[in-house]
Amino acid sequence: MLISYNWLQDFLQLQVDPAVLAEKITRTGVEIPTTAHPMAGLKKLVVGHVLTSEKIEGTHLHKCQVEVGQEAPLQIVCGAPNVAAGEDVIVALHGARIAGNEKIKRGKIRGIESNGMICGLQEIGFADKVVPAKYLHGIFVFSAGSDVKPGQDVYEALGMDDYIFDFDITPNRADTLSMEGAAYEVGAIIDQKPKIEQVVLKEDGPAWSDKFEAQVDPKLAPKYYLRKLTGIKIGESPLWLQTRLWNAGIRPVNNVVDATNYAMLLTGQPLHAYDAKTFAAGKLIVRQAQAGEKLELLNEKELELDPQDIVIADENKPVSLAGIMGGMNSEVTDETTEVILEAAVFDPTLIRKAALRHANRTDASARFEKGVNWDNVQKGIDVAALLMRNHAAATVDQGLLKATDQQRQAVVVKTTTSYINHVLGTELSGEDIAKIFDRLGFGHELAGDDLTVTVPNRRWDIEIPADLVEEVGRLYGYDNLESTQPLLPETHGGYSVRETKIRRLRKLVEGQGLNETINYTLTSPKAAKLFTKSDHKLIKVAWPMNSGRSALRQSLLIGLVNAVSYNFAHKQEQLMLFEQGRVYNLDDGKYNELEHLAALYTGTAAHHNWQKLDQPVDFYWVKGQLTSLLAAVGIKDLTFKAAIIPGMHPTRTAAVYAGERYLGFVGMLAPVLAVKDKNLQGHDLYGYELNLEALLPLMTTGLKNEPAPKYPSIERDVSLLVDKEITNAQVVDCIKANGGKYLQAVHVMDVYDGMQIEHGKKSLAYRLIFLNKQATLTDDVVSKAVEKIDAALADQLEAKIR
Amino acid sequence: MSDELDKLLARLKEIQAEGSQEIDQAVNKEKLNDIRVKFMGRKGKLTEILHSMKDIAPENRRTLGQQVNSLRDKFQASIDQANQDLTHKLIQQRLEAEKLDVTLPGREPLMGSKHVLRIVEDDLEKFFIGMGYQVVQGPEIETDHYCFEMMNLPKDHPARDMQATFWIDDEHLLRTQTSGDQARVLEKHDFSQGPLKMVGPGKVYRRDDDDATHSHQFMQMEGLVVDKHVTMGDLKGTLELIAKHVFGSTEIRLRPSYFPFTEPSVEMDVRCFNCGGKGCPICKYEGWIEVLGAGMVHPNVLENACIDSKVYGGFAFGVGLDRFAILKYSIDDIRDFYTNDIRFLTQFRQEED
Ligand SMILES: [Zn+2]
Repeated sequence: MLISYNWLQDFLQLQVDPAVLAEKITRTGVEIPTTAHPMAGLKKLVVGHVLTSEKIEGTHLHKCQVEVGQEAPLQIVCGAPNVAAGEDVIVALHGARIAGNEKIKRGKIRGIESNGMICGLQEIGFADKVVPAKYLHGIFVFSAGSDVKPGQDVYEALGMDDYIFDFDITPNRADTLSMEGAAYEVGAIIDQKPKIEQVVLKEDGPAWSDKFEAQVDPKLAPKYYLRKLTGIKIGESPLWLQTRLWNAGIRPVNNVVDATNYAMLLTGQPLHAYDAKTFAAGKLIVRQAQAGEKLELLNEKELELDPQDIVIADENKPVSLAGIMGGMNSEVTDETTEVILEAAVFDPTLIRKAALRHANRTDASARFEKGVNWDNVQKGIDVAALLMRNHAAATVDQGLLKATDQQRQAVVVKTTTSYINHVLGTELSGEDIAKIFDRLGFGHELAGDDLTVTVPNRRWDIEIPADLVEEVGRLYGYDNLESTQPLLPETHGGYSVRETKIRRLRKLVEGQGLNETINYTLTSPKAAKLFTKSDHKLIKVAWPMNSGRSALRQSLLIGLVNAVSYNFAHKQEQLMLFEQGRVYNLDDGKYNELEHLAALYTGTAAHHNWQKLDQPVDFYWVKGQLTSLLAAVGIKDLTFKAAIIPGMHPTRTAAVYAGERYLGFVGMLAPVLAVKDKNLQGHDLYGYELNLEALLPLMTTGLKNEPAPKYPSIERDVSLLVDKEITNAQVVDCIKANGGKYLQAVHVMDVYDGMQIEHGKKSLAYRLIFLNKQATLTDDVVSKAVEKIDAALADQLEAKIR
Repeated sequence: MSDELDKLLARLKEIQAEGSQEIDQAVNKEKLNDIRVKFMGRKGKLTEILHSMKDIAPENRRTLGQQVNSLRDKFQASIDQANQDLTHKLIQQRLEAEKLDVTLPGREPLMGSKHVLRIVEDDLEKFFIGMGYQVVQGPEIETDHYCFEMMNLPKDHPARDMQATFWIDDEHLLRTQTSGDQARVLEKHDFSQGPLKMVGPGKVYRRDDDDATHSHQFMQMEGLVVDKHVTMGDLKGTLELIAKHVFGSTEIRLRPSYFPFTEPSVEMDVRCFNCGGKGCPICKYEGWIEVLGAGMVHPNVLENACIDSKVYGGFAFGVGLDRFAILKYSIDDIRDFYTNDIRFLTQFRQEED
């Protein structure tokens, strides 16, 4: 809410600089991000009295003689349609500055001398939304009785000398959504008791309430008050009232609507005025809407009402959406002479939901949903009635109709001085604390350590001792709290074993030269199903922002593909990206979150270089990266089996197993991806995706040193010719199975199936490493082992040893 | 007889001159070897002279022998020296031939990098671990129970509207805050084993349209300290350490605020590290920058986890990792974190520890 510094002076004696006060309020109560001073930057804006105004032929302009308190009137050319002789207006003199730091100079318009400018409110900095409708498209005219004299500065008359605090309230501090509430808060902060005046309302019309029936469900509206006013003459509100409204961000409308808004700003109690004709039958009902009922609101929105909506109705139909906005069919118009004025407390949840449901939040609904002061309902309605009596010629009919009138008892909270000190870390005495409650205007009783606090209904946010701790803490001043460190027994900080392992993997992959990415969890249902072997159910959000972000990913690669595509579109083509994060699926009605690790490679294995030693990334390069990564964490015995995975190249992808355990896959991404995403065209992508839930338990812990071998190893090469369909794995398995206990390692040295080789065959060469860790190995032993291997290869794989 | 000696001595002089000249003119090691053979070999000229000794008087043989030996030594020394010089020259030639343009660029391998959000996360984790905090992870698919109800946000609580939620079904949602981790840890913690000190980093989700300042996915870190004697002064002291560690700011401001799960609640601002408080675009001309929310754990949150709020209490804080990164590195579009432009990603490498 926008809180006027000048208006606050009605309640408090403020001598402090507004900026200093704003900072103090921010630190103690409610954040004030900005303080506006409407006249700031403006210069030489005075009241002018238009003596004559004559139309300049062939234009929309008027030539005016304007008295501005100088020896002679000024001639000013004005383009506004509503300029006329006899008006008091805003004049920007020669040398003036108006909104946007624009300078006004005397000059000629269409050859006619003009010594300034007659201004509209927007031209001197007012927002469109607060400018009264009749001045929206022309100059502003001071209403009769505005008490302004030609030549005087306009700022004070228009409320522009004010300082306007933007109270950015949190949901619990709706008590400051009124001038009185703000005055209590500021008063507590600067230790002044605010002067809150009671209303004295004369009811000089006839008694009306016994002839009017209001049927109100107390569950919907625990308080529901009505007044009737007659003899109203709709017109413009006095300028002082209008300035207070527009400084609060509310557009002045007429002397009835303005009265209700003003009363709400003052007391925090929302009010509504109905044309009394609406209830000509003498009956008003507060109920929930019935299925199929409709209502057109004052903002011309047509609503299909929901059975949860609270409505005000006559005997047939809804005429207002309770607590939110009136209906067109009960509107106060220029012809209105009698009004029914309503002040109520509505159920906060129902109001909040209705405002949300119909996307129609208003100043009133915002207050009802956060709560209002139950003790201010009558004051609210009486202030509004008084203003109409004073400024709309209204007669207040006798009687305040209280259709429902539940009472709310003041909340009594019991706590102790020691509890408050314990939480805050302070050493305040009971008296210190009592003084703070005095400042807040809370009743209190101090008995030794015990403290009993009675909280007035205007502070409905306070219920429990912790709430009192906050009041004491903030008014004592968080700045005054001594900064300490918790004096606690020592605790051992750190990561869980699992988290440590995950971080180790991330570090290793980064060390391999990959750049870490973080991608979105939400993707399209189609994309969410790619790059996963198992066919789990997708998890979808119930109300997505768009279909592209409606399902939870089942792989990380999909995010990496998007990242690569984005980079390709920005001409970045040398990419090695990884992500470590979660994938999600639904399994037997259970939501699963699995930690994964995925990498995507494209381009060359290092930056391009002038020596042309570029090594393009390919399947074996990525497989090597994966293998060395896993070896680094102690996972060595891997099996790779050709596999079909959605999104992967069907003949260039391998499932990766450690023993029987499926860890993930590695391979080339399906070229078909480029059909949908043009950015991917002309690029080869390779990658892997690992399920860390399967992998983490295999990571080595508790390693013991194994001494480096002291005896030399012996190498033997074996070359063979086999059928083309025989895989490397088959050959290696056969060699290992027959190599004896000293065979340490088998390395592939060459694979050739070119011209010189018999059709349907290929030539393979292996280097075998033999080692005896206990003694020097003899050639004889090794030769025997190799002979056995040769025989097995020939026998089992029909290999020709060469 | 002395004639013979003189003749041989004269011959020796000739050999010396001839040999010295040849050694000087030798262009390679082969030539030097030839010279050595020619003069000092078995049939070499010096050997010949020794053979001629039988023709001279025995008393002169000794003199001649000495002279021949001395010349042989001289030749050997000269040849050795010449050999060494030749080697040196060869090396010089070879090195000259191997000369590189050292100003040409080297072949650069690809260097890995941590995501900037991870840099911020890791840095904070280490900071808190150093102060004895455990790092805790919780589920992103949270239940209404843990994300809201346990955190003192019962159904129909207006503050639920503050966080536009991605619901999955009636009970499950993508967590809007990492606070659910608090509830889970509070339920499990055994206070007889010591105080509870934790931070919980992770992804959170809000149903917001993505733009420069909003993201439907971002990262938070939740902090919680609970024991018998934890005060708001302790919270202030801890927050000051965070501000100093992350932003180098020593001046902070605590403002009253509101979170359903803390009471009292505060927000912390730091003095704008860009302008020092004079006002600039980074602080929106306020001189202060809001960096985190915090407060004393609400008694309902403790009681919901079956902890006696009369005995135990503590503080909690929540940090937006995206926000920290944005402020710390002057990033002007939150979407940059998730589009992963390689040029954006790699620049933060130098910030890694
Ligand atoms: Zn700044």
